[in-house]
Amino acid sequence: MNEPDATSTDAESAEALLERIAAGSEAALEAFYRLTHQRVYAFTLKRVGDPAMAADILNDVMLQVWHHAGRFEGRSRAMTWVLGIAHHKVMDALRRRGREDRHEELDESIPDEDSAGGIDAVAGVEDASAVRRCLEKLSDAHRTVVHLAFFEDLSYAEIADIAGCPLGTVKTRMMHAKNALKRCLQTLGAAG
Amino acid sequence: MHDDSTHPDELLSWYVNGTLEGPERARVEKHLESCRRCRDEAAWLARLREQIKAEGGADAPGELGLRRLMRQVRGSEAKPRARRLQWWQPALAAAVVVIVIQSVLLVKPWQEAETGIVPLGMQVSGAVVQVEFAPTATEAQIREVLQAVDGIIVDGPGALGVYRIRLQGVSPADDARVAAAVAALRARKGVVVHAAAE
Repeated sequence: MNEPDATSTDAESAEALLERIAAGSEAALEAFYRLTHQRVYAFTLKRVGDPAMAADILNDVMLQVWHHAGRFEGRSRAMTWVLGIAHHKVMDALRRRGREDRHEELDESIPDEDSAGGIDAVAGVEDASAVRRCLEKLSDAHRTVVHLAFFEDLSYAEIADIAGCPLGTVKTRMMHAKNALKRCLQTLGAAG
Repeated sequence: MHDDSTHPDELLSWYVNGTLEGPERARVEKHLESCRRCRDEAAWLARLREQIKAEGGADAPGELGLRRLMRQVRGSEAKPRARRLQWWQPALAAAVVVIVIQSVLLVKPWQEAETGIVPLGMQVSGAVVQVEFAPTATEAQIREVLQAVDGIIVDGPGALGVYRIRLQGVSPADDARVAAAVAALRARKGVVVHAAAE
């Protein structure tokens, strides 16, 4: 299915569609789905790892949009609002699955060592397969920040809004995620 | 030369993704002019970002997912599209509560020994249904609907715009009467957009 990506030029369109959805327009909901579903699905799948579950969550998110579009107040971009809904649906799903975080959450109060100097980490980022494997090893919280920052290109304020955490926490999680990725790439590089 | 405390590590990712603005962006740009370490770090983050974008999103459900969604939307008997709250609606909600309480006191002998006024948020006995009123519903229409089912508002609106309505004289165990009240509420299309037993 060929549909446009919801870039900044489509931001007005997404918000205008939410207005029409709030007024009961099914056509607007269909258009909104086509405009946003790939990004919502990508965000969800990155976290739950199960295509069927991700599809179910996507459906639930869009139903939530249908039921509560009137609650979008325009204080954030439409996509940020929708990803916030998706975040909560994912958290619920992970809790039900008993896997709120697949990996041990790093203690964010303890700054970890910056391994920026590792040559294998520097080279490792060129290896798409290694990057993918290392991203999968991240904790859910870290993977979320990395995805929203680098796939969605969201600001740290928008990410804090979606994740429901303080700005400082977002920045700290990104730093931890970055260092965890470097350690992983270093390890994979050293393993050859 | 920079000591570790001056490196804007916590901002580099957002400099790289283009969302850093104002003084923070200026600070990072100025720092990068003279810090090789951070320029390398920014380059690494930029490459990571490229890899993540190149990975792309997996194949989403597409039109099949849309058809599934629309089947559910069209098949749903409730139409709980929460319209944007108008400025007057919270005031109307408060007015309705006052009017309903006053109506019960004036028109109908209170059946309970105490005042019968139920403070909002208080635990109530008796069957309770949850109702969402249409944004365009008038106070008179809401009052009429409540009197038709002998209901009083005991809580709400909550975060989703839902009110809790106590059905006077109806036991929670009396499924038939509760169902009849819910059906009567739902029949008032244009005033009630959602009604369900708790």
